[in-house]
Amino acid sequence: MKKRIISFLICCCTMLTVSACGVMPETGGGGESADFSAGRGGTEIRILSGSENQELEEIIGDCADEAGVRVEIDYKGSVDIMRTLQKGAEEYDAVWPASSIWISMGDEQHLVKHSESISITPVVFGIRQSLARELGFTGGDVSVKEILDAISSGKMTFCMTSATQSNSGASAYIGFLYALLGKQDGLTEADLQDKQLQEEIRTLLGGVDRSSGSSDWLKDMFLEGDYDAMVNYECLIIDANEQLTAEGKEPLQVVYPYDGLSIADSPLGYVDHGDDGKEEAFLTFQETLLGSESQQAIEATGRRITANGVSEENREVFNPDWGIDTERILSPIQMPGADVLLEALNLYQTNFKKPSLNIYCLDFSGSMSGEGISQLKDAMSQILIQENAEKNLLQANEGEVDIAILFDDRITDVLYAEDDSDEALRDLYDQIAEHEPGGGTDIYGPAAEAYKIASQYDLSQYTPAVILMTDGQSMNNQYEFEDAVSGYGADIPVFSITFGDADPSQLEELAEMTGGRVFDGTQDLTEAFRNVKGYN
Amino acid sequence: MKKKIAGLMLLVVLMAVIGGIYFVTGNAPQIVNVDGYVGGEKIELLEDEEIRSVFEEKYGLNVDYSRAGSLDMMTADLSGRDYLFPSSSIALEYYEDLHGSPVQSEIVLNTPIVLYTHQIVLDAFENQGLITTDGDVHYIDMAGLLELIQNGTQWSDIGLSKLYGRVSVDTTDPSRSNSGNMFAALVANVLNGGQTLTEADLDTILPELQDIFGKLGYMETSSSDLFSQFLRMGVGAEPLIAGYESQLIEYAALYPDEYDRIRDDVVMLYPTPTVWSAHVMIALDENGQILLNAMQDEEIQDIAWKKHGFRTGNYGDIADSGTIPADGVAASITQVAQVPSYDVMKVIIEQLE
Repeated sequence: MKKRIISFLICCCTMLTVSACGVMPETGGGGESADFSAGRGGTEIRILSGSENQELEEIIGDCADEAGVRVEIDYKGSVDIMRTLQKGAEEYDAVWPASSIWISMGDEQHLVKHSESISITPVVFGIRQSLARELGFTGGDVSVKEILDAISSGKMTFCMTSATQSNSGASAYIGFLYALLGKQDGLTEADLQDKQLQEEIRTLLGGVDRSSGSSDWLKDMFLEGDYDAMVNYECLIIDANEQLTAEGKEPLQVVYPYDGLSIADSPLGYVDHGDDGKEEAFLTFQETLLGSESQQAIEATGRRITANGVSEENREVFNPDWGIDTERILSPIQMPGADVLLEALNLYQTNFKKPSLNIYCLDFSGSMSGEGISQLKDAMSQILIQENAEKNLLQANEGEVDIAILFDDRITDVLYAEDDSDEALRDLYDQIAEHEPGGGTDIYGPAAEAYKIASQYDLSQYTPAVILMTDGQSMNNQYEFEDAVSGYGADIPVFSITFGDADPSQLEELAEMTGGRVFDGTQDLTEAFRNVKGYN
Repeated sequence: MKKKIAGLMLLVVLMAVIGGIYFVTGNAPQIVNVDGYVGGEKIELLEDEEIRSVFEEKYGLNVDYSRAGSLDMMTADLSGRDYLFPSSSIALEYYEDLHGSPVQSEIVLNTPIVLYTHQIVLDAFENQGLITTDGDVHYIDMAGLLELIQNGTQWSDIGLSKLYGRVSVDTTDPSRSNSGNMFAALVANVLNGGQTLTEADLDTILPELQDIFGKLGYMETSSSDLFSQFLRMGVGAEPLIAGYESQLIEYAALYPDEYDRIRDDVVMLYPTPTVWSAHVMIALDENGQILLNAMQDEEIQDIAWKKHGFRTGNYGDIADSGTIPADGVAASITQVAQVPSYDVMKVIIEQLE
C-alpha cells in the first residue's frame, strides 16, 4: 500500500516537472530539420551518416517504427563525420560513417560506444562493360596499376569522390598511392614527398573528370553524365546497374583490383552525451537493424552482411554478369597510420588534385541586409581565409582560380583573386566584405557571366564550378543563361545554395541543366558553403 | 507566472512528503553512480545484466563507463571519474608516473594474449612447421612467425595465393591500447631470444621492433573493435590478429548461434611464449573502491570466467574444461614470459609512437 502511494506521488511529481519543462524555451536541436526522418516513437536519435546509407532509408524507417524510436539523419561524407566527432558531435546521438577508421580517428573525446558494423561492401571500380572488355579487365586478376595506366593513356575517363570528404574517395586515393609506389604496406611521409610519385598522382587525378563530395551523389552524377568509369562502393554500382539496365543502357563491369581494394564496414556507433534514455533507444534501434529480417533486407540492396558469400534469397542481386564475385576473398589494402593518412589527405587537397576553378555568384540584393549578409560574409571567410579552410580540409589547391561575381538585379562587381596564395585569397575576401547589399535579384545574368569568364580558361586543366548563392526569387531571365550554356557549351556544374526565400525550383532547373546540385543554406549558410566546396 | 510558482511550490511540498516517507520507512535505495574509463574488451562484462544486478543489489552500484584505450585513458580528462579499468599493470605504472598513487588498485581479472586466425591460415602455418597441437589446442612458434614477418614473406609464398600482401599480425596501437602494447612486449621478448627484455638489450632490439610495427600501418585503438572486424570482415581483411583469450570465450558464451557459424573457420593460437594481460581496477575515489571490492566478489569472478572468459583467482587452471563454450581453449597457461619492466615498456611505447 505504501509503495503505491509513493509511486502515485512520484507520478505527480514527474508530471509537474514535465509540464514545468514545457514552459521553458526549447533547447538543443529539436527544431532543426534533418535530411531524413522516420519513426513516431518517443525518444529521438539524431544520426550523422554517410550518404551511401540513403538507399537504406526504407529499412531504417521500418526499424525505427519497430523499435519505437524517432530517427533523424543528416548526411555527410565520412571524413567530415570524423571531424564532427573530433569536435564532440554535440548535435548527434550516433554516427554511421562508411568505415570504422573514421570513428577511431575522430573519437578523440572517447564518446563513441556500442559501435557495430551494419553491413560490408568493397570499394571497387565500375567500368562500362564494353570498355572493360576491350581493356581486358573482365577476366583474371586486375591490378590498380593496369587501371591507372588505362586512365593515364586517355583510354578511360573516370570520376571519384573527393578524398578529403568521402571514404570511397580516400580509400581509392590511398590505393592509387600504393600502386604508384609499387608498395604493399607501410606508406610513409617520406613516400609522399617522392617527386616521381607526386608527378604521377597529379597526372592521374588530372584525369578525374568530375569530383563529388559524396558517394551517393557520385552515382547520380554518373547516371546523368557520360563517363566511362567510377570508383564507388560495390552496392552503389549494383544500384547504378539496376537503373542502367532498366533504361536499356549498358551496365558497369565491377572490377576488384587485387592490390587496391578497401572494404567499408559501415559501423553504427552511439555518441554518449550522458542521456541514458537515448542510449537505450539507440540500442533497441541498432538491435532491430542487426536483426535477421533487416539484415536480409539490407543484403537485398547489394550490401553484404557477411564476408562469406551471400544468402540464397539474395543471390540474384549480386549479378555475376556484371562481374560481381561473392566467392572471392576480399583482401583490402592497409590504411596508413593516422598521421600519414592525414598528411596524404592534406596533400591531395592542396597539391595533387586538379586545380579548382571556382566562380562564386553572390547575392547582394536588398533582402540580404542584416543577418543574411553577415552570414554570407562569414561563410566566405571560412572558405577564403586559409587558416579557417584548413580545419575542414578545404584549403585552396595549387593553381586554383577564385572569382566572385556580386549581383543584385544586375552584376555589381566582378572580383578576382590574383593567384592561389593565402594573401590573394584573403584580399578577395576583404573586397567581398566591403560590399553592402541593395536592389532586386537576377540569378541568370551572373550565372551567364560566370560561364563567359570560365570559357576564357583551358577547362581541361581545371575542375570548374559555378557556386551560386541566393536568397530570393529571381526575375525570369532564364533565356539569358540558356544562351550562355549553349554559347559556351562547356560542362560546368552550377552548385546553388538557397537562403531565406530562395526559389528552389529555379535553382533545381539550373542544377539539372548543368549537372549541378542544390544545397540548403537556410539552416546554416557556412555549412552549406563548406559542403559545396567539398564538391570542388 | 503565478501558476508556475504555485506549481513549483507544490512540487517542493510533494518532494518533501516523499522524502519524509522514505525517511520514515528507512528503506531508501542508496544507489551510487560510478563512472570511469574502461578498455573496450571489458564492456560486455560491465553491460552484463547478471553482473549489474550483483553490483546493484550487493553493493548499491550503478556502473557507467566511457571506452578508452588502456594507455589513452591515463592522459584523458579524469575529472568526475571514479575508476579506471585498464588491461595491464604497465598502465597502472603509467598512471602512477603521471598522477602518483591511486586511492587503491588491484588486479581483478587475467587473460593471456593470443593470436586469432582462420582455418586456411592455420593450415599454411602448419605446413611451415610453426604449429604444435595438443588435443584441439594450437600453439604457434613466435620466433618462426617473426622470421616470416621480418623476411617480408608474402602470404602467397606460404601457399595462400588468394591473400594479398605480406605476412603480418594486425594489432591495436601499442602506444594507445593494451592488447597492442602487450603484443609489442611479447614480440620484444621473442626478439630477445625468449628472455624478458631488459634495458641492457633494449638498443639492439628496438630497431627490429620498429621495423615490424612500422609495416603495420593504421592500427585500431580498441581491442574489441579489432576483434569484431576480424569476425566480420573475413580472412582477406584480417588474416591474423592479436587479441585476448577472453574475447573468443565471451563471444561463444554470449552469441552461441553466431559462434556456431564461424567455429569451423576461426582459430585461436597460443603464442609460445605468451604474456599475461592483467586487468587492473584503479580506484580514484571511495566510490571507485566500492567497485573494486565488488569486482573481487566471488559471484562476479565466477560470471567473469563463465560468460566473459577472464581467468580469475591466482592465474588458476581450468578445473573442468568441458564447460568452456569455445573450442581450442587451453586448460592451463604454462609458457609465459614476464612483461618487460615499466621503464623498458615506456621506451618501447615512445619509440613505436
